[in-house]
Amino acid sequence: MKYLKIYFLAITALLAFTSCSSDDDDAVANDVTLTFSNTFGDTPIVLGDATSAEATVNTSDAGQVHHFSEVKYVISNIRLVKADGTEIPYNINDLDNGATVINQANPETLSYVLNDIPVGDYAQLKFGLGVRSDLNTLDQVSFPSFYALAGANDTEMMWEWGTGYRFTKIEGFYDTDNKEMSIHTGSTITDAPDGGFTQGVDAYRDITLDLPDVAVVGNHAPTINIKADFDMLLSGNAHTITLSTGTSMSDNATPNIHTADQMVKFVDNLGGDGTNDLQGMFSILSVEN
Amino acid sequence: MFFTENTPFMKTIIWCLLLSLALLSCSEDESFEPIIDNPEIALEIPADFPSLNSSVEANLPTQYGVQLGEKLFNDKRFSADNTISCASCHIQSNAFADNNAQAIGIEGRVGLRNTPPIQNLAFMNFYNWDGSKLRLEDQPLVPIITHEEMDSSILEVIDKIESDPEYQDLFEKTFGDENITPERIYKSIAQYEYTLISANSKYDKVMRNEEGVNFTESEAQGYAIFQEKCISCHSGALFTDQSFRNIGFPLNPDSNEAGRGRVTGEPEDYMSFRVPSLRNIEYTAPYGSFGQFETLKEVLDYFDNGVLYADNLDPVFKDNDNRIPLTEEDKTYLIAFLKTLSDVSFVNGN
Repeated sequence: MKYLKIYFLAITALLAFTSCSSDDDDAVANDVTLTFSNTFGDTPIVLGDATSAEATVNTSDAGQVHHFSEVKYVISNIRLVKADGTEIPYNINDLDNGATVINQANPETLSYVLNDIPVGDYAQLKFGLGVRSDLNTLDQVSFPSFYALAGANDTEMMWEWGTGYRFTKIEGFYDTDNKEMSIHTGSTITDAPDGGFTQGVDAYRDITLDLPDVAVVGNHAPTINIKADFDMLLSGNAHTITLSTGTSMSDNATPNIHTADQMVKFVDNLGGDGTNDLQGMFSILSVEN
Repeated sequence: MFFTENTPFMKTIIWCLLLSLALLSCSEDESFEPIIDNPEIALEIPADFPSLNSSVEANLPTQYGVQLGEKLFNDKRFSADNTISCASCHIQSNAFADNNAQAIGIEGRVGLRNTPPIQNLAFMNFYNWDGSKLRLEDQPLVPIITHEEMDSSILEVIDKIESDPEYQDLFEKTFGDENITPERIYKSIAQYEYTLISANSKYDKVMRNEEGVNFTESEAQGYAIFQEKCISCHSGALFTDQSFRNIGFPLNPDSNEAGRGRVTGEPEDYMSFRVPSLRNIEYTAPYGSFGQFETLKEVLDYFDNGVLYADNLDPVFKDNDNRIPLTEEDKTYLIAFLKTLSDVSFVNGN
């Protein structure tokens, strides 16, 4: 009897310790961290003003040197796809909790944590470059945090006349005489009130990236490292772009993109064309489990 | 049954209390309060005007909605520093436009384009010179947030006005409760604007064969020339066919400008602007998308001298050596006719 008691005590103790251990398999959800590395090819972008000696200089396929003083873009509509095909949306209708502005000048913004991702093996990451047109209404009441984030002076990511957000904001200089370049993208798509017709362009792009290694959400919280290769801004899959300064229809560099016709070429380069190219400038660097 | 001479005192008190409470709660029941009467305002549709924009049906002007909209329209708290209201650029005596080349916002900031007049907007299908908005209710937010205009936000505006008892009263009368929301602000401003109908000019009176109203010799000549050389674009009762055209006016040096091209992305829309209505044109100088021309004479001189070539230059010009030929006499008569499109009652608010 005495030994039975001891065994019971021992088993109970073991069970107690086992259930108290944080290393058990009872986690139902965990975080996933997305990091964004903004590069020219494999070189991280260092920002700088017109005459900066530190700024990373890139040469486009058209032969134009350029460097950036500002790089900002919106990521939203994030979805993780399990190996079995189940798609987990992350606050995709909530810009406050599911969208962010990646700002190269602010290192904190280069990491974005997705909370409460259900346990599982994830094989694919999907997200939007920009804001879906149904959410692109500057609704300050529904999404006050994102409005403040995108409208605050240091981001200036609002597109005022279009009453939407700027999806990308790239400022910099090109050619050896450091001409200004200013690339802003955003959507102008609008429906007539009776649904009779639709005008404008939709600059939102859906990105789909296969993960080279499965991201395992469970005991650990994995990190997915994403590369945004801004060499593709001018030298993309869709278009080889030559920047030119001026106010004619084909000028596209200065100081603002003013025809949606030219803007769409940058959008296709950065975010893919939405049909054949679903990657644009994005790729997965690595998955850390 | 409940109360007899034998009912205990406490029981009586308790029943009295319960009865009082019941009566009190009944008197606070809001379903017994009369519903505020907020009748629709019947818009007087002038003869031969095009059909209403379908969003008017979804936002029919009401008595209090229009009153509220007008109050909001004139409220300088819409701007960051409380100096500019809608009425600051949309001035009644200028047919709700102004006399600046480009609109001027807070702190003297200069905007991109010439202020458009607010007249007959209920009958328009596109708003702003580039037609970027298709519903009038979608327009007010633009100047509220634009840096060169009011540089504010809709929540900032609501914050300033929500404890104003006059607004609380008007919102309640218009929408049924005191809640001040962005949508209600846009809707009431639009309701007010829908009522701004101008169709009582001398031209209108002549067309209606009103007693004792006739064109002068000059005006009649001008009307004939107008029908020959201008009416293909400035057609109909609104004096615009509401199309977007590049007519080779001097180009805005601001690279933000691309005309309708910046909305649609179509090369054929580059530097195309909506044909302006010529109603009340006497009051809305300077002319052109960014006020390139001080006077009507300057505009007509420009047409005659030749406009800027562009690949997408409108055929009216492209097929005619880039000009509309006009003699000095033509121009004088035309201007006399254009002045008959002035609606004094509209600009005076009668």
